[in-house]
Amino acid sequence: MSIRRPIVFFLCLFWALITLFPLYWTVITAFKPPPAVNRGPTYLPFIDFQPTLQAWIDAFSGIRGDFWQPLWNSTVIGISATVLSVALGSMAAYALARYEFRVKLGAGLVFFGLALGGYLLFHYPLEFSRAQAMGLAFLVALPSCLIANRLPLPGPILGNKDVLFWFVSQRAFPPIVTAFSLYLMYSEIGREGLRLLDTYLGMVLCYTAFSIPIVVWLMRDFFAALPVEVEEAALVDDVPRWRIFIEIVCPMAAPGLIATSLITLAFVWNEFLFALLLTTSRWQTLPILLSGQNSYRGDEWWAISVAALFAIIPMMVVAMVLARLMRSGLTIGGIR
Amino acid sequence: MRDPFKYIFIWPAFLVVLMVGLFPLIYSLTVSFMSMRLVPPRPPRFVGLENYVDLLASDRFWDTIGTTLFVVIVSVTIQYVVGFAVALALHAKVPGERLFRVVFLFPMLMAPIAVALVGRMLFHSTVGPVNHFFTFLGFPNLPFLTDADWAIATIIAVEVWQWTPFVILLMLAGLQSLPQDVYEAADLENASAWQKFWGITFPMLLPVSAAVVFIRIIEAFKIMDTVFVLTGGGPGTSTETLTLFAYQEGFKKFNLGYTSALSFLFLLTVILFGIVYLVLIRPQVEKRI
Repeated sequence: MSIRRPIVFFLCLFWALITLFPLYWTVITAFKPPPAVNRGPTYLPFIDFQPTLQAWIDAFSGIRGDFWQPLWNSTVIGISATVLSVALGSMAAYALARYEFRVKLGAGLVFFGLALGGYLLFHYPLEFSRAQAMGLAFLVALPSCLIANRLPLPGPILGNKDVLFWFVSQRAFPPIVTAFSLYLMYSEIGREGLRLLDTYLGMVLCYTAFSIPIVVWLMRDFFAALPVEVEEAALVDDVPRWRIFIEIVCPMAAPGLIATSLITLAFVWNEFLFALLLTTSRWQTLPILLSGQNSYRGDEWWAISVAALFAIIPMMVVAMVLARLMRSGLTIGGIR
Repeated sequence: MRDPFKYIFIWPAFLVVLMVGLFPLIYSLTVSFMSMRLVPPRPPRFVGLENYVDLLASDRFWDTIGTTLFVVIVSVTIQYVVGFAVALALHAKVPGERLFRVVFLFPMLMAPIAVALVGRMLFHSTVGPVNHFFTFLGFPNLPFLTDADWAIATIIAVEVWQWTPFVILLMLAGLQSLPQDVYEAADLENASAWQKFWGITFPMLLPVSAAVVFIRIIEAFKIMDTVFVLTGGGPGTSTETLTLFAYQEGFKKFNLGYTSALSFLFLLTVILFGIVYLVLIRPQVEKRI
């Protein structure tokens, strides 16, 4: 064992260096004057090159495009979508952890069939606009599906695991499928007068919907791990369920809620494809700004590094908080 | 247990996901059977399976599937092997374990776009340190981003850099959940470390491994950001992945019917690949338990 230990340590050190080098490179490049970049690689500040704050001053004064707007957009959209999806998602996760759900597969098929058929019917022969046809189809399909669930339909009955799987499977879809369809949908709804493309509402709605599955998946484990006894005692005392949830369950699951929020925030903050398709100017987020740095302005690496750090640094803080939470015994979806 | 509460709790989340997830899907499913272009604008026309047939007959479609599969398989394999090795090392209680753990969390929380930009900078032919390093070792200047084969290798390298930590974290969690008594028994039998790994650790972690690899495969199929910034699909279309192809068709040419058909073929590919993977892996996992 004693001979192997150094080898093991150096393996970790080697991978840590590989992980850290690109970060180091980005940080020093952000402080390099242009010649120190273009002459070829330079590695050590003060020895290889004289650090300068010029790239940062340029960024803050807006010479290289507006940084503040995308930064603000990313922050506002990120926080709103995180709060909404964690709130809605953990409610659903709690219901899945504590109650039993029985959904008939037949009812699900009824919903899908009526939604698709209703849409085609309302749009083509009846000549409603696409968005209207979709809304009407939804109004028809949902109650029919609820009624169908009460009827003695043949076929398998889905339980909580399947509902959970349905939520999680939403994440397995290639995002281009949904992003592209969502783009088409948003532009159809826009024609009805409700602007969703390149708006705060549209972005928060789509990020909330795509974060809820992660939240449900993670929070269900946290809630299932909590002792039921406290809740049962409160139920005996006739405390209403919503108060049990807010005043007892959520505080007990606080570390889990924080970790889930951070993971959701990271997902929204870093997301590129939806932002690329669904925003054009006013609500562009940081990743869009970053991708533009590359193509429109040529390779001004010092400025690109500053822009990249804008996106990276908040997530580094998130990483450190997460590491702290994990060290104090928190398990995230099985990750300790 | 007829508590109305359970419905109040699950419906909001359910409705939001249903509306934003399912309805666009229905819409684009119908569009995929139509010829629909925004530029030049033409009235949509029902064309049946024409979009699908066109795609299946086009070389570019099969090339992008090939590229995507290659990137997915190679990068996930490397991530798994390296990630598992580092997880084993961390599990052996190396000094500085806590610090390593924080460091290994960084890459997966970084925006793939930012990672790809940094990658472009590192692999740059004249100002990048990677080429500097290779020249120092005596290699010629390598065309990391401009030659088709090297560009794929670079994309894989960036993917591996960003996602190996994910494998490390999950495999580490798996390692920590293994029962200690099996190892104590193996120690009594004087089993070597090598025997212990192949006899105990690897088989017992097989279910965790299968899950980790599955998640990585599903995620790797979505690859877009990295390619978008690193090579833009080039040179030519040699590094174009499925997502990027769909984006180009949809947003450069506004060929909506075609793109919708493409995204459903993409979905089908992922599902097929997932099923093949599960069919191959399931007997292995079940045999060992």
